[in-house]
Amino acid sequence: MNEPVSRFGSARTIGRGMRVAPALSNGIALTFLFAFIGTGARLVIPILIQQSIDHGLQPGNIRVSYIAVLGLIGSGFVLVSSLSLRVATKRLGTRAEEGLFTLRIKLFDHIHRLSLADHNDEKRGALVSRVTSDIETLTMFFSWGGLSLLLDGSQMIAVASVMLAYDWRLALVAFAVSAPLVLVLRLVQSRLVYAHNISRERNAQLLGVFSEMVSGAETLHAYKATDLMITSVAKDVRNRGDSNIRAGIIGAFLFPSGEVFAVFTVMAVVGAGLLIGPAGGLTAGALVGFVFLTYRFLEPIAEFTEVIDQTQSAVASLRRVLGVLDTPIGPPQPSHPIALPAGVLSIDFVDVSFAYGSRLDEVDDDTPVLNSINLHIPGGQHIALVGPSGSGKTTVARLIARLADPTVGSVMLGGVALHRVDNSDLRRRLIVVPQEPFLFADTIAYNLRFAAPDATDNELTNVFSDLEIEDWLESLPHGINTNVGQRGGSLSAGERQLIALVRAAVVRPDVLILDEATSSVDALTEVRISKALSKLAQGRTTVSIAHRLSTAARAERVVLLEQGRIVEDGSHEQLLALKGQYAKQYETWVTSTQSNLGS
Amino acid sequence: MSHTETAVQSPSKSRLRVGYGLVRDLLKIHPKIFAIAVAGASVYAVCTVASSFGVAYLVDHVILPRFETGKIDAGVYLVGAAIVICIGLLRAFGVVIRRSFAGISNWRTVESISMQLVRHIMSQPLFWHKRKMTGDLVARVGVDSDAAAEVLGPLPFSTSVVLLVFLTGGWLLIVDVPLGLVAISVIPILLVLNVGYQRRIDKHYDTAQHELGSLSSAVHESFDGVMVVKAFGAEDRETRRLSVISTRLKEARIRAVSARSTFEALLDGVPSLVNILLLVVGAMRVDSNSMSVGELTSFIYLFTLLIFPLRIIGYVLSSVPHSASGYKRVREILDESVELDPQTLILESSANCGVRLEGVSFGFGKDLPDVLNDVTFEIAVGKTVVIVGATGSGKSTLLSVMAGLLQPNHGNVWIANRSAAIVFQEPFLFSGTIRHNIDMGRALSDSVMHDSLYLAAADEFVSALDDGVNTVIGERGISLSGGQRQRISLARAIAQQSSVLLLDDTTSALDTVTESLVIDRLRHSKNIVTTIIVASRPSTIALADEVIFIENGQVSDQGIHANLMVRNENYRLLMQSFEHDREQGGL
Ligand SMILES: Nc1ncnc2c1ncn2[C@@H]1O[C@H](COP(=O)(O)OP(=O)(O)OP(=O)(O)O)[C@@H](O)[C@H]1O
Ligand SMILES: Nc1ncnc2c1ncn2[C@@H]1O[C@H](COP(=O)(O)OP(=O)(O)OP(=O)(O)O)[C@@H](O)[C@H]1O
Ligand SMILES: [Mg+2]
Ligand SMILES: [Mg+2]
Repeated sequence: MNEPVSRFGSARTIGRGMRVAPALSNGIALTFLFAFIGTGARLVIPILIQQSIDHGLQPGNIRVSYIAVLGLIGSGFVLVSSLSLRVATKRLGTRAEEGLFTLRIKLFDHIHRLSLADHNDEKRGALVSRVTSDIETLTMFFSWGGLSLLLDGSQMIAVASVMLAYDWRLALVAFAVSAPLVLVLRLVQSRLVYAHNISRERNAQLLGVFSEMVSGAETLHAYKATDLMITSVAKDVRNRGDSNIRAGIIGAFLFPSGEVFAVFTVMAVVGAGLLIGPAGGLTAGALVGFVFLTYRFLEPIAEFTEVIDQTQSAVASLRRVLGVLDTPIGPPQPSHPIALPAGVLSIDFVDVSFAYGSRLDEVDDDTPVLNSINLHIPGGQHIALVGPSGSGKTTVARLIARLADPTVGSVMLGGVALHRVDNSDLRRRLIVVPQEPFLFADTIAYNLRFAAPDATDNELTNVFSDLEIEDWLESLPHGINTNVGQRGGSLSAGERQLIALVRAAVVRPDVLILDEATSSVDALTEVRISKALSKLAQGRTTVSIAHRLSTAARAERVVLLEQGRIVEDGSHEQLLALKGQYAKQYETWVTSTQSNLGS
Repeated sequence: MSHTETAVQSPSKSRLRVGYGLVRDLLKIHPKIFAIAVAGASVYAVCTVASSFGVAYLVDHVILPRFETGKIDAGVYLVGAAIVICIGLLRAFGVVIRRSFAGISNWRTVESISMQLVRHIMSQPLFWHKRKMTGDLVARVGVDSDAAAEVLGPLPFSTSVVLLVFLTGGWLLIVDVPLGLVAISVIPILLVLNVGYQRRIDKHYDTAQHELGSLSSAVHESFDGVMVVKAFGAEDRETRRLSVISTRLKEARIRAVSARSTFEALLDGVPSLVNILLLVVGAMRVDSNSMSVGELTSFIYLFTLLIFPLRIIGYVLSSVPHSASGYKRVREILDESVELDPQTLILESSANCGVRLEGVSFGFGKDLPDVLNDVTFEIAVGKTVVIVGATGSGKSTLLSVMAGLLQPNHGNVWIANRSAAIVFQEPFLFSGTIRHNIDMGRALSDSVMHDSLYLAAADEFVSALDDGVNTVIGERGISLSGGQRQRISLARAIAQQSSVLLLDDTTSALDTVTESLVIDRLRHSKNIVTTIIVASRPSTIALADEVIFIENGQVSDQGIHANLMVRNENYRLLMQSFEHDREQGGL
């Protein structure tokens, strides 16, 4: 199993679930009381019938009115107990929903705070399945399985006491013969646990595959790979079905094991009764009555086994939920944060090395992506980070934004080590604009307010003017109320980048990191935006990662990264004079952007 | 949500019909498995009745004689015990069969429904997918289909309970008509209760299931955008957004719970009340000498045996609305007719023509302006053409039309061999090995794999990875850098060996040196195919035989770069922007 799953036993798991979501166990005693009264009818009615038969239906002496009165009393009982049952079910169901709501929200919140590595390790769909499908399984259990557990438990206890009072010898025989059932149940149960764990895991896997299939539909269509995908999905679907069926079959043996024990127990009771006989003070009526009591005692076991099956499935889901909640958030938050200094912020890398670790790897043999980086960026400087594809530029950006912590060394912002900075403090001061920005399926305004929840429409449109792209905004049918579609899919790639830039500019952060933020924007617009950005960059530390070296030429300083090391560092002119890697890159850039192609 | 609700049926009659229709539809999928489960359940039912006779036999022939005569007849006891035990074992066997096959029938049905959905979804074209939220579709395939089949689990058992009730009822009717009627009345009472229950609860379950879908979409989206959420420190706000949806879900569920608890309490009470009624009516019947006390006692015992199974029936009935709402959401997808696959409209081009478009127009919706407008051009086989245009001018849309992913509103597209391989502007990689992402499940020879990686300039970094092409990458290629992702997707397109290659800004994430490497290799590749490249840099344009300049979804010019530079003002402006920038910067 390669996903976080808590490893506690069933009872402890449910106990922990209740502690995480206290509503689940809120007022459980009262609920139990109502449930107990609710089961009352199940016991009272048989007794009532017995009474009527014994006293009202003597051959030759039929007391219809007596039976009618008993019937009325009985009906009263039924009414009261049904009402109690209703109260109990409603209480339990309502609290289950409240509790699961809490669990869902906690889970959701926690997943957002997990480290990038944890997010990379699991498919989106599988993560989503914990919040939807796993919690659904819990709903089923807590809304009626839990109640049955309570009712059946109380019925067994009640009947057991009556049995003991009736005839302790026979009761002991009955308990002794049925006791091994507990062992059988435990044995089957442990297999059941395992089976359910597997089926929940496969369920998550399947949902992961579904979501990847739907997200990748465009590619699958373009490569006519839909049929292959369907075949592979079919395998996962089958696997999940098989594992559920296996769990079901194990459960199928659980139920009749109760039945079989019931038969043997009853036969043993009859046998013992015959042996004790009248000499032991037993009467025929008492023995017959006891036989029926024994049936009553064992009857809940049938329902009980149904519930055990459901319980295990719920426990398997709960374990998955708790497993996520137990995964530490990353990067960890400081207990005593240090406030970032006001004003412009410098950035420092002190002996930083970094490797993308994975929780899945047992051995720590990840090749480092960054190697002993030392870098000081004074506050207010605009630097360009350049280097070949895969050299580690994006990784540097992620470390500055503390989306991950360095494996060795430390990153400092304004002289404060990042792991001492409070997350919200950091987010207010620093913004990263990635190459493939993510937009939510809502309006442009919604996406911009994601960065600045209180900005007015006017403030938002002003930022478009600041970046000199107001003409583009005006060309949109509904202006900032235009819907951008899922992942911004109703916009062109360049337009998505524009929105992401505006989104960053709305915040006016002290540190701005642009990771190829204009790579898909046409040349004319890009030049226009970079000029505007340079103006806005006054009094702000800016790190631009760009392959279009016009950006580098505009920066105060250029840092060239190669295979995770800084190999060149200086102003554009200095690096050109050095005639090293950068000079070579720049030369290629100049020739490649000359419009007279020498042909 | 853009879904129109399925036509609302007339309220009263439809409830039973929905439940009935649901069960009928589900049973049609795997009838045989279900039949076995019902057979198992029937064995159980019959044995239940038989066991009550077995116990009666023991009482009459073993227990009573023992206490009356004082003698133990071991032989009779053993025979009686053996009978009771055999019946018990048979009954247990019935249960095993019933439960196993009920599970099989349930999960095989879920499988069939999911796969039906998967096939349906996958045969819908790109345009359909653009209108749907991933999370919602996933919820329909993965959660709603489970819910839909849920009712199948306990169904065989309840079928056998109905059988049991009718058997007993029938027997009671034969012995005494009024008493029989009282016993059987329990079934119509439960049905009437159920109809009332469904009427009250339907809308809550529909809302709940709908909200579950919304929740799934929202959660999916939020996890998808976890980087943005983190980058803006918006975790708390996202949690609040989700809690709004979760609250709606919770409230719908709590309303359902309220109705459900009333129903279940009635289900618990009604059989007991009928039992009491049976007793009172029975006493009157005995009083009027219509039956004997013994007969009445055995009736009542038999009916007592039914109470527990009747309770289970209640659970089935109360799970019908939940299943029905799940099934409704499944049907919403399945009932949408499959839209035309635009691929089928692509025409085979004539011998020397690689790509030809004639009067192609395209818009994303009736109320939206056309993105492509009367686009016409022709590209000869083997040529390399660059498409140039401003942001949002329609380049990517044009490529999708050529790739047969979007259906033009007007006009025709001809493609050599009707097949083009496209590299999307934001490539999508699947979790799995690099090899799998390149061959897309088809077997590729090592040389094709190697050549493709080489042409895409991906050979070097791939071979530097620990496991080479067998390295596993995360979902969406998350463990690769932007430029690496782009090159893998380029290799994938090249490996298709299509006659036409469509590259959408495929070198945007590459540094200049790597970019020129890619372009150089493509240019000198021996398998010359018709190549169309969306690009903005003159360097890429240098590679081209021809340029197509797009403005506002129209072909504004087509020709050799040098000519366009002279005759097209806008083109010149775009091309010279970097140079102007350098000059102004004094660089
Ligand atoms: N999430 C990740 N998990 C594992 N490895 C990663 C991850 N992200 C990047 N890498 C690896 O780290 C190295 C540096 O990646 P990075 O994204 O920092 O490069 P880059 O300089 O930004 O490249 P590009 O210009 O192509 O965007 C690459 O070899 C890449 O494969
Ligand atoms: N699914 C969609 N629904 C509505 N409008 C869309 C959709 N996809 C794209 N558009 C619009 O169509 C126009 C053309 O988009 P397209 O992606 O083809 O542009 P592009 O030329 O590729 O731009 P870029 O250079 O930024 O990639 C844009 O104005 C965009 O807003
Ligand atoms: Mg990068
Ligand atoms: Mg585009």
